[in-house]
Amino acid sequence: MQLFPCPFCGPRDEREFHFAGEIGKTRPDTTGEVSAEDWARYLNTQRNEKGRVREVWMHLTCSELFVMERDSVTMEVLSSTPLREDVE
Amino acid sequence: MTSHRITQGGLIDRSRPLRFSFDGKTYQGYEGDTLVSALLANGVRIMGRSFKYHRPRGPWGAWVDDPNAVFNVTLGGVEFPNCPGATTMLRDGMVTRSVNAFPSASFDLKGGLDLLHRWLGAGFYYKTFIWPDWHLFEPMIRRMAGLGAVSAEVIEGYASDQMHDRCEVLIVGGGAAGLAAARAAAESGRDVVLVEDHDQAGGRLYQLDSVEGQTPQDWVADQLAAIEAAGGRVMTRTTAFGVFDHRMVGLAQQGPFGYAPRLWRMRADRIVLASGAIDRPVTFANNDRPGVMSLDGACEWLARYGVLAGRNIAVLSNNSFAAPAARMLAEAGAEVTEIDPTTGPIRALGSKRLKGIEVAGKRHPADTILVSGGMTPLVHLWRHAGGKLDWDERTQAFLPGAAPEGMAAIGAANGTFDLDQALTEARAVARDEPRPDRAGDYRVKPLWPEPGSKGRQWIDFQHDVTLKDVELAARENYVSVEHLKRYTTLGMAQDQGKTSNMAGLAAMAAIQGRPIPEVGTTTFRPPFVPQPIALYSGPHAGQLYHPLKRLALEPLHRAADAALGEYGGWLRPGWYGSGDPAGHVRAEVIKARETAGILDASPLGKVEVMGPDAESFVNFIYYNTIKTLKPGHIRYGFMLTERGNVMDDGVIARLGPNRFVISCSSSHTDHVRAHLEAWRQDGNDPDRIFIHDLTQQWSTLTVTGPKARDIVAALDMPLDLSADAFPHMTLRETTLNGTPVRVARVSFTGDLSFEISIRSSRAADLWQALCAAGESVGAGPIGIEALSVLRAEKGFIIIGKDTEGETMPHDLGFGIPRQKKQAAFVGDRSLHMEVANRDDRRQLVGFRVDPGAPPLPTGAHLIGDGDTPRSEGYVTSSYDSPTLGHPIALGLLERGADRIGERVAVWHLGQRSSATVCAPCFFDPEGERLNA
Amino acid sequence: MRDDRHRWTPYDGAWSPYEVGGIAITPVTPERQILISAPAVLSRHPGAIGWPDIATGDSYAISLRRDRVLLVNGPDMAEGWDDEIGQAVSDVTDAYSVFDLTGPKALELLKHGTEIGLQQPSRSAARMLFGLGVFLYRHGAEDRFRLHVLRAQGQTAWQMLTGQAGRL
Repeated sequence: MQLFPCPFCGPRDEREFHFAGEIGKTRPDTTGEVSAEDWARYLNTQRNEKGRVREVWMHLTCSELFVMERDSVTMEVLSSTPLREDVE
Repeated sequence: MTSHRITQGGLIDRSRPLRFSFDGKTYQGYEGDTLVSALLANGVRIMGRSFKYHRPRGPWGAWVDDPNAVFNVTLGGVEFPNCPGATTMLRDGMVTRSVNAFPSASFDLKGGLDLLHRWLGAGFYYKTFIWPDWHLFEPMIRRMAGLGAVSAEVIEGYASDQMHDRCEVLIVGGGAAGLAAARAAAESGRDVVLVEDHDQAGGRLYQLDSVEGQTPQDWVADQLAAIEAAGGRVMTRTTAFGVFDHRMVGLAQQGPFGYAPRLWRMRADRIVLASGAIDRPVTFANNDRPGVMSLDGACEWLARYGVLAGRNIAVLSNNSFAAPAARMLAEAGAEVTEIDPTTGPIRALGSKRLKGIEVAGKRHPADTILVSGGMTPLVHLWRHAGGKLDWDERTQAFLPGAAPEGMAAIGAANGTFDLDQALTEARAVARDEPRPDRAGDYRVKPLWPEPGSKGRQWIDFQHDVTLKDVELAARENYVSVEHLKRYTTLGMAQDQGKTSNMAGLAAMAAIQGRPIPEVGTTTFRPPFVPQPIALYSGPHAGQLYHPLKRLALEPLHRAADAALGEYGGWLRPGWYGSGDPAGHVRAEVIKARETAGILDASPLGKVEVMGPDAESFVNFIYYNTIKTLKPGHIRYGFMLTERGNVMDDGVIARLGPNRFVISCSSSHTDHVRAHLEAWRQDGNDPDRIFIHDLTQQWSTLTVTGPKARDIVAALDMPLDLSADAFPHMTLRETTLNGTPVRVARVSFTGDLSFEISIRSSRAADLWQALCAAGESVGAGPIGIEALSVLRAEKGFIIIGKDTEGETMPHDLGFGIPRQKKQAAFVGDRSLHMEVANRDDRRQLVGFRVDPGAPPLPTGAHLIGDGDTPRSEGYVTSSYDSPTLGHPIALGLLERGADRIGERVAVWHLGQRSSATVCAPCFFDPEGERLNA
Repeated sequence: MRDDRHRWTPYDGAWSPYEVGGIAITPVTPERQILISAPAVLSRHPGAIGWPDIATGDSYAISLRRDRVLLVNGPDMAEGWDDEIGQAVSDVTDAYSVFDLTGPKALELLKHGTEIGLQQPSRSAARMLFGLGVFLYRHGAEDRFRLHVLRAQGQTAWQMLTGQAGRL
């Protein structure tokens, strides 16, 4: 069972967390033209990398959305930072 | 003389005799015996039957490496299935019987199956029972499959405690290396936990005369005392059964017999593996005969339990441990002949009773053959953690190679088989000092199965996999060890390959002419030894297996004779009254249509969105335009996923400029809250939007029906209820006897409805007041089942029941925001992708049946009438409507909106019927009653 | 359509204090629980209780999130969005059931429910215990633990805590 570090709460049991997606996706501005290809890429394209990955997770008990860097092979957690940049 | 118990020595307590029985005969053992050691002491050799051929089986090993002696054990009137005899400690009064044997292990009626072995090789049933139909054979095969049976009394009350703990250093195994390492680590100030699966630590030390100048007993006692004095913890009868992510080790701690083990989830900064090694069988003809046993096992039986395995012993060993073992057995009174197994073909002589052994044509009489094919380190946990294994020529074994983070192996588990080296290594590792190179006096000659050699040579004793089965698998191209395992079931017996895997993969290597390391091992998976499922479920059983959320008003519902059931994670009244559910539901529907129904709608979500950006946020979250919603008003809408699929529906009310209440579906509240939080923090300014889930602060009671206004008017609320002052889809905040309440005019039935929300601690007062007021007009409580009928009559959907994963709002008749809404919203672009524009989308429709026909089955397929019928949709809700007096149904149908009036064929479990497509709303389509 | 009423122990929210060797479990009824969310709300409640902090006195703030506290027995406050201070305020007095776990075995009981220890502090009192979302901290004494659990899960928490305490 993994221990994930919530940037606010500290290390907690993995059962308190929920995977929210790979980092790096920006929602296209849908008030303008968005091509079907761009939208499909936004919806469906996953890097699904082996090794070092950067992902968005939610700590369900405090609802913090944060960025976790981890190794998808060894399961080692490399870093964890708040999604918002103005806090520690 | 049949007793094999020697008069002194061992760890048993001869002053405490224990009586027990096996297959109907009574025996005596001692405190400290295992079931197997006690039976061996009484001269019992045959303790079970193999799985497939029902061949007689005696014990092979003295501990976790025995696949043969498996018993059902009754103690205190309760029978426990499949207890491993080699590791189950004897208790007074145990009644044991062999599994897979009838009437007894020594005389088994199915023993004749062995005569058919020529036709029952690996994969026989894959090949045999496919014609004419597997289902003909399945019942018989199912009866023959499996070992002991579970009785209901065992399951009742058999629950594991689960503990979470942590330590700096976890040492797995309390043999010489483990004890030395634990002491050294504890004395260096580390927080140490040592786990040992025997009752008494010490591993194989009791086979020795002395350890570092002390008797083994004294040395072990000294180490344990020192560990505990330094603050270390020692857990005996505890098996480390698996290493999981982030160095969490699963420990199963045995309690008294018959009690479920306790699970420890032990998080260790460092894991030191000192799990020891086991003896390998040697593959030769008839090597499965009772009396062919592990040499190391025999030494353990002697050293720990004072049991001498045989009187006339042939020791068949390829390694340097044979000499001291033979000496020990001889000193205990056995005749011992040491035999070199590398000189020629070997064959055991005799059948149920062993007569001797023949090697290279030379016969040696013996009543017992003790076998050692070399030591195999127990590296299971090393592999669980992702450690590498390297093949070592010197020891002819796979040894721990590159280590996983925070893990080290010592002693026999690391291939350091000699005591002095193991102690030096253990202490060095425990103190973080450089470890010595692997070395030692242990010598072993390569000795592996020889493909093509004569006789039936067992590789997996319990599952009856022989060398010929491995050869067959190779011929049929199951050459990968993982395929070999599944095709032959090699390694899938109770010992999970501890005795069979090395021989199996070595045989495959020899058949293919490849080196052993190239063939490799199968994957090591937890648990190291079998564990009951209760270990994993822990306290989450019975009502706590899938606990439901409980209503504040549950006592009042029970008092009103409510039938309670699960609805979306809550325990809710389905209907009121005992017996005849359908009759009660029907009566409640009629009551709601004629007077009024009172419904506990408390699980409805009440998620408040507040803050300066609340308006733009909910406008983004909803498919519908929300920003034009005025305070005091309510709007029905959908939340979509980013793929444009309907995620939830419900109403949203605006309480003020910066405050909204989202009333999501009862079963979706947790999901909706997380959905809102994710969008709040990703893509919005989280300092300007705040989300409070107040679902459980408020209880909500709905009064619905033509008399609803009269009932609500009877409450002491300063509120004008007239349709003009308080129209449909508005909300009022007022008080009831001084307590704040919210009253919403929304309807899920199609009739005039008031939803009244009040803090949960006051809900009982409201319920009683409504029921009292309702009684005078013939109204009363209704349950969820009646509501489901009422809403279906009106054509109102339940998300997830009347929609599926691909449903978009325009499939449900809500197409306007898709065309008109200018602002961005979740899922917007997806509503204009190719898939959203297809003209064969499944759309919501209603169905009528011919007069007198029964209701359509929910889930029935709507099929075309072509030569090859194809599902064009399905029935999602179906009821016999009490209001309308005929069956109604809702469903999703391709191009449904354009097919109103069309006849469609309905198929369900082979039965065909037909229905007419209609609009989904059956009741008051003009909405006169809704707006009353 | 299933009638499962007899499969579930009736629940009325009125639990009698439970005591077994080394641990007492007592329901507590705070007069008021108020949820406050706002940017930098923690700096306005500098003593907000996390784990394993010990709350003292009758009235205190619990730290739940970066931007949320729970005020226990604080002053009565107007609900909704407070434009002046810039905070969201909700009364949750009836949304949470509260239990005290007292005694030398209380911490061991908690360790049955999650990976927790006094040496592993957390800025937030919110966590999962036996699979239930709770707010957990100490109150008034070293070995007195207080937990808030959603009202609808109060019965589950009670059954789990007393059932496990009975096995310690």
